[in-house]
Amino acid sequence: MNDRLQDEDRSALESTSTMSPLPAADRRGVLKWVGAAGAGLVGGLGPVYLRDFEYTRSVQAATDSPVKIGFIEDESGNLSVYGLQKLHAAQLAVKEINEGKTLKGAPAIGAGGLGAVGSAAAHPPTISKEGVDLNVVGDGGPKSVNEVMFDEDADVLIDSGDKGILGREASLVSVDGQSNNALWQQLARRLIQQDKVDVLVAGFASAEREAIRPIVDQFKQLYFYTNQYEGGVADANTFCTGPVCEQQVIPVVQYMVEKFGPRGYTIAADYNFGQLTAAWTKAFAPLVGGQIIGEEFIPLSVSEFSQVIARIQQAKPDWVMTLLVGQNHHNYYPQAAAAGLKYPMASTVNMAQGYEHKRFKPPSLANMHNAIQYQLEVPTARNRAFVKRWMTMFPKDEYIGEMAQNTYFTIHLYAKAARIAGTTDQPTVKKALELGWSIEAPEGSVFLEPGTHHCAHYIRLAVCDENHDVKFVREWPSIQAWWLQRLGVNLVRHPEYKQYTPDEDPYFKMFLKKS
Amino acid sequence: MEIFATLVSILYQFATNGAFLLLSALGLIVILGMMNIINLAHGELMMMGAYAATIAYHHGLPFLFCPFLAFFVVGAFGALIERTIVCRFYGRELGALVVTWGISLILSQGTLMLFGPFLPSIPIPGGSVGVGQYSFSTYWLVVIALSWALVLGLWALYNRTLFGLQARAVMQNAAMAKALGVDINVIYMLTFALGAGLAGFSGALFAPTVSIAPFMGQQFVAPAFITVVVGGATNVIAGAVGSSLLLSLVKTPIGFAMGAFLGTVALLLAALVIIRLMPNGLSAVIQRWLDRRNRFA
Repeated sequence: MNDRLQDEDRSALESTSTMSPLPAADRRGVLKWVGAAGAGLVGGLGPVYLRDFEYTRSVQAATDSPVKIGFIEDESGNLSVYGLQKLHAAQLAVKEINEGKTLKGAPAIGAGGLGAVGSAAAHPPTISKEGVDLNVVGDGGPKSVNEVMFDEDADVLIDSGDKGILGREASLVSVDGQSNNALWQQLARRLIQQDKVDVLVAGFASAEREAIRPIVDQFKQLYFYTNQYEGGVADANTFCTGPVCEQQVIPVVQYMVEKFGPRGYTIAADYNFGQLTAAWTKAFAPLVGGQIIGEEFIPLSVSEFSQVIARIQQAKPDWVMTLLVGQNHHNYYPQAAAAGLKYPMASTVNMAQGYEHKRFKPPSLANMHNAIQYQLEVPTARNRAFVKRWMTMFPKDEYIGEMAQNTYFTIHLYAKAARIAGTTDQPTVKKALELGWSIEAPEGSVFLEPGTHHCAHYIRLAVCDENHDVKFVREWPSIQAWWLQRLGVNLVRHPEYKQYTPDEDPYFKMFLKKS
Repeated sequence: MEIFATLVSILYQFATNGAFLLLSALGLIVILGMMNIINLAHGELMMMGAYAATIAYHHGLPFLFCPFLAFFVVGAFGALIERTIVCRFYGRELGALVVTWGISLILSQGTLMLFGPFLPSIPIPGGSVGVGQYSFSTYWLVVIALSWALVLGLWALYNRTLFGLQARAVMQNAAMAKALGVDINVIYMLTFALGAGLAGFSGALFAPTVSIAPFMGQQFVAPAFITVVVGGATNVIAGAVGSSLLLSLVKTPIGFAMGAFLGTVALLLAALVIIRLMPNGLSAVIQRWLDRRNRFA
């Protein structure tokens, strides 16, 4: 009897042994693992793939392989208020390219205009914030002054003589970054390595651009960054078609110091863009007679501003420089208005990109100044035509912001460069883009500088009044992006792959002592 | 006058920070105190309250009624998910954690799919009142007053009503309460509904001050959890009030002197120190003091 028990004990021990290497060798265990793996796959990849399934499939099914324009923007999350506009801009541009249209422009010296004599009013007209018809609410006064003026083309969209790009259809492969940097890197890799896009147009926040730029450089992908940013990117693969600090910070600070006084207070988003632009503002203000008396950097996730408002009230500046990014930060404006904060504000980001003057009730954005290169209300004939085309394609859209317009003309610029190059082979197109391009965008004439890969823009100073109507009080027809030139960047002769910061520019320190 | 104005400003900031922490944490702490369940869907319930209030406001309901509507809508939803999902996880805290996290994912991505990336916001009601060079939003003053009224109301609910008596009994010893005839399933459901309703109410109150987007709940989750952990679950009201006051006391002067970011850093460091010294939270200490006072009265 003892022996039998021992045998039973031994077999019982063996069957319940926990030393087996396989986690679960029975049917239930296998089913559990397969189920978990399947759920993980669907959960992890579903949201990324499902929305763009048709695009990728249609691209693969096409026999005459289309030109793939890779596109990553934030269609959801904190930065979606900007990303959706840029997506619509890309869709409009691709549609126009496929219809055989292009913007005027060439590797030449620009469209030029016809000088003519005319009468001008004493003050600029005020453009209503209501709707998208660019209605004039304040006429600017009786017309009295006689000056020489420029005659502008009614529209700059002309026939390209081509169907699509080089006879091939232009197809937009767009994905949603969800305002999440890690997802951006995954999506950039997918577009470059798997979809093998011919050009990548992506990036809103500087953090997103810097997250994917190493990947772009690794694969030598032609990359357009169409957003306004803090400046300094010197990268042979990257073309930055948005405005930079010297084109926006300097004009607006100059104007604020002239109009309101020398003491400024900066509140900025706490990431690379906010920090670097605030550094620019602080370095530059003394050179125009101003001074930044205080700075505060606010993390992107903060949306409660009572302490920030109290500190501004304690500092008592003449004007406030607001460099706030994302929907969380936009709540500063209604909160400040509700708290009775009445300082004039200057910005290089707000109003023209996130259209706060339409989303928040007056007078949240009263007295907001921004040196913009584009916003919906620009009162020129070519812009009216552009807005009309846009609203025909997207009737439910509320606004066309700065970055959306940049995306639009950048994609047209790519198409033109590919036609001149005669191919979509990326190194050749990069060389074609360095020819010294002038393109007629809705904002005006834009020049892509060969050595720095940045654009000279038409800058206007927009002011928002208490009713949130907009007027443009000053214009600079062309401001170059000269900072990289001063640093000696010439990507044609010496290719580089980095971003310069104000610390690397000795001029900033040299003249900072002046204050 | 300048000193007086600055003092008033600091007091206002202290009250605002405290009210923000208290309102964020109240719903969470009610559920934690009763059922020892950490509700990771708390942020999404606040988002739901904000959405309910925004949609009602844009359909014409005066803003005065919107938070109360949000309370009932989210409370009803809370009762629903409690009966169908959460009740199966009582006693299994880790399972409840995962399942409430799953609910939060479904709620936030579902809202994104149904309502899009953002809704038009509610304008902040009321104007401002000025003292010296500072001015304060009257809406926030109303919210601060409302948060105190809410705490008083909760105290009355827990200490002066039959539901409160039964709820406290269930919190102390569920098995004994059941033996004495208390229907603990109903108490659990009502408590979860109350916690969800409070989250919805707070979300609706914050709605005019923030953007209405599907992921807006995330900005309240961290402060709520820190307040709840520092407060502890032993005594719901003492924990919530004590914790929000103490943390705000640390955050306000540093935030005023050195910026909001460093204020938040100071708040987190204070939470670290308090949890190290009082592992069961502030309410455990307060409860011990109250018990000692009652015993030797």
